[in-house]
Amino acid sequence: MTSPLTQTVHWDLTYDVHLGNTWGRFMQGLREQKILANTCPDCSRTFVPPQAYCEACFVRTEQWTELPAEGDLEVFTVVWQGFTGGPTPPYAVGGIRLAGADTLLMHVVTGLDFSDPSTVRDQLPHGSRVRAVWAEDRTGQILDISHFEPAG
Amino acid sequence: MAQRAAVVGVGITDATSPRKQTRSHLELCQEAAWAAVEHAGISPAELDGVVVGNIDGFEGTVLGGKHITRLLGLGPHLPMVVLNTGGTTGGNLMQVAARMVRAGTHQRVLCLGGPTFFGVRDLQSAINTNSPMIVEQPLGMGGFHMGAFAASAYQARHGTTVEDLASVVVADHQKAARNPYAHLRYTLTETEVVEGIPLSSPLTQPMVCPVSTSAAAMVVASDDVAAARRTPSALIRAMGTSSDPYLGGGKGDFAVMENLAALARRVYALADVRDPRAEFDVVEVFAPYVHMQPMQLEALGFCGPGEGIDLIRSGATDAGGDLPTNLSGGPKCTNAGVAGELAPYAYTALQVMGDAPEAIQVPGARTGLAHGTGGSFFQFENLAVFSQLTPQEQR
Amino acid sequence: MSNRVRPGPVHVVGLACTPLLPEQDAVLDELVFDAVSAALAECALRKPDVGLSVLASMDVPDGRSISSGLTTAAAAGYLSDSYRLEADSGSAVAAAAQAVAAGDVEVAIAVGVHNPEHHAEDDAGRRRFLEQLSNLAFEPAFDRPVGMTAQTVYGLQAAHALDSGNVSLDHWAELSAAAITRGAGGRRPGRRGAVTAADVLASAPVVTPLLDLMLPAPVTGASAVVLASPARAARLLGRSAVLTGIGQATGDHTWTGEWLTHPGATTARAAADAYRNAGLADPGTEVDVVELSAPTPALHGPYLAALQLQGLAPDRVCPSGGLASAHAGLANGIIRLLEAVEWLEQHQPRGRAVVHSVDTITGTVSEESTVAVVEGI
Repeated sequence: MTSPLTQTVHWDLTYDVHLGNTWGRFMQGLREQKILANTCPDCSRTFVPPQAYCEACFVRTEQWTELPAEGDLEVFTVVWQGFTGGPTPPYAVGGIRLAGADTLLMHVVTGLDFSDPSTVRDQLPHGSRVRAVWAEDRTGQILDISHFEPAG
Repeated sequence: MAQRAAVVGVGITDATSPRKQTRSHLELCQEAAWAAVEHAGISPAELDGVVVGNIDGFEGTVLGGKHITRLLGLGPHLPMVVLNTGGTTGGNLMQVAARMVRAGTHQRVLCLGGPTFFGVRDLQSAINTNSPMIVEQPLGMGGFHMGAFAASAYQARHGTTVEDLASVVVADHQKAARNPYAHLRYTLTETEVVEGIPLSSPLTQPMVCPVSTSAAAMVVASDDVAAARRTPSALIRAMGTSSDPYLGGGKGDFAVMENLAALARRVYALADVRDPRAEFDVVEVFAPYVHMQPMQLEALGFCGPGEGIDLIRSGATDAGGDLPTNLSGGPKCTNAGVAGELAPYAYTALQVMGDAPEAIQVPGARTGLAHGTGGSFFQFENLAVFSQLTPQEQR
Repeated sequence: MSNRVRPGPVHVVGLACTPLLPEQDAVLDELVFDAVSAALAECALRKPDVGLSVLASMDVPDGRSISSGLTTAAAAGYLSDSYRLEADSGSAVAAAAQAVAAGDVEVAIAVGVHNPEHHAEDDAGRRRFLEQLSNLAFEPAFDRPVGMTAQTVYGLQAAHALDSGNVSLDHWAELSAAAITRGAGGRRPGRRGAVTAADVLASAPVVTPLLDLMLPAPVTGASAVVLASPARAARLLGRSAVLTGIGQATGDHTWTGEWLTHPGATTARAAADAYRNAGLADPGTEVDVVELSAPTPALHGPYLAALQLQGLAPDRVCPSGGLASAHAGLANGIIRLLEAVEWLEQHQPRGRAVVHSVDTITGTVSEESTVAVVEGI
């Protein structure tokens, strides 16, 4: 069968995404090698990344705290097939429970041996301790934390 | 004054890959729309409105639905509204249309879901634009990467093996083989599933949905219009949607679909369903990734935590079982974007109308459950209960 | 056609919008949260009271696909019913009102938000970005490559109108100057200070024959309205207005040309439905004020005629100044409702207003028009 007739359509969109005060403060914290979180005054849940408001209590959050840069890896996946413009596979992405947080922080996880896909899950069992590794050049973005690595 | 709403017509096109598809996006939508109108036994001039689904960035035209409906020749100035709630768009089309009819201001509304993925070069890259900007998007997650978290967590919680997951895939494919509208109609073995190309642990290629092209449409009308038809309609007895927070990190527990469980209780209460396992004759859930189906069955109250795979393995969810589920083959075998999301609603309505494709029709089906899900980390859920509305039935 | 009866009335109990600024230093969901919180506070309701939330927003200016993932919780949608329409917020009001009229919920909220994720130093820069997005909403094989955008469409329609000989650029300049000046002195001051017709004619050409001050003044912000059933509203403080009829219509696409020759046709259809639902037989004598959404002065006359309100005194037509004073993208529909309700509260508490809004995504091509009749009680 001959190739179907198509027309190439390309979107070339560049954005300046507004951070607002809450995420702005979080990003400044990353530059200073601090992981900041905030808390809902009504239900006391602690959010990292911080939230401007609690979606359940529907009130503005208030109190800010600094969390330790270490926590438990609750879940992760290894990407074997990626996407155009994304990181080069294989790479691992995980959900990390920092001590004191009620949310998971999603981030890149290193320290895995990728040679055999069937072994990856056992290498970092649920709850494995992981710690943040800071990037040398920090500019106020989530990858100022370069990745989380197993903390022995 | 307020009315009830019923599905009175459904149109589905057959499905194939973008590469093999010979019809255009518009032609597929035309086919589905006209089939729905014909099945309803109405003329396009009788429509009061159109609700169309759109997921910008996954398709080449922003709000492309705006133009599609005009090009369908449905009539000048017919009000059309574009809905975009990601993966729940399809099912939500019906819910929005149902509210229009239930308000009493509309008698017949067309819902249209086109082939959203038709033309995207790299779908996972497109889906990454849905990953929460700034705090998660740079981490490199596309659709099945986000989906893989739940699979991984479910495995850790219940000791589910890849062979267990594979058995679900095998069952879905056997069902799709009997559905003339399905995309992937071949059967396969557990070994073939397990040995498929790894995508994002623990998911292999055969464990995730294909990229399909097809279209689906449905006509939602008042119960008066339904009662005047000669064959049964599908009364929309109850419906609802529910949302989780945006960030993946906001999930309470990746191993349990808490949001869906909460929604199910709310919708069952609205429908006065007391024993879901016994009362539903047919179910269609939107499970584009293999682990989702057992998790959804658990959240919907059909079995206990960790028992979903056993339920499927027992044959209860096969044709002939006591809880026929995804007899269409589900999105594991056909996923055309918004058309794929509308499909569970379309097939369930067809089942209780008695008009599903003969090979997959559940004999005597009267009550059905349709489900949809989507968004970043599947934060959105929707659900609807259908009851057969026979022409002689009084309100 | 179908046999319709009048729908039940839906009460407006809370209305709010954020400050309308050229650009907001905030994430979209923060703006939504502020507008929704303020609207709920007006009637002392809380998030759990909201049965359905309908949000109007668009992915491409939001810089995210399925951007409602970010904003749903802020619109009171966490663990409850919500939808997101990519349409002007007038459509969100219609959908929220339908849920209340259907008896499915006692309280519904409609929200609109617009804060493009783009930084620009001036209106020209803002428009460049918005027009890029608009171009993407046009048909890709034929319309997009030749530069069709909303602005281009407005320019073409204005040129066609001038060619017809029944209107003049001078008259348009007067309309724009009057609108901008009214808005400058309003409760919610617009972007632009008071100007004269000469100022308008001296402003920079943007799309011939339209000049800069004839086009909408781009602003950003979020707006929200809380609707309730009559039974529920009886026990609520807050606003006292009722929506008695809503109508909607969608215009034809590029190649049929109605957007060019009869741009008011879509609004006429929406108005007819709204008036029938509201039980109005002679809108010209039964309506006290209209809040109109005319993106250019060339559309002012056609929309007004489509609404059958050409006879209204000038001070009753768009007293807020409309889009010439401030245009907050998809948040516009609810802002027009807010302006109409406030006008009634101040000038005619038991009067009747017509609220008109359109989406400007592709100009008058495939334009969605929403018309609502609201009465003070």
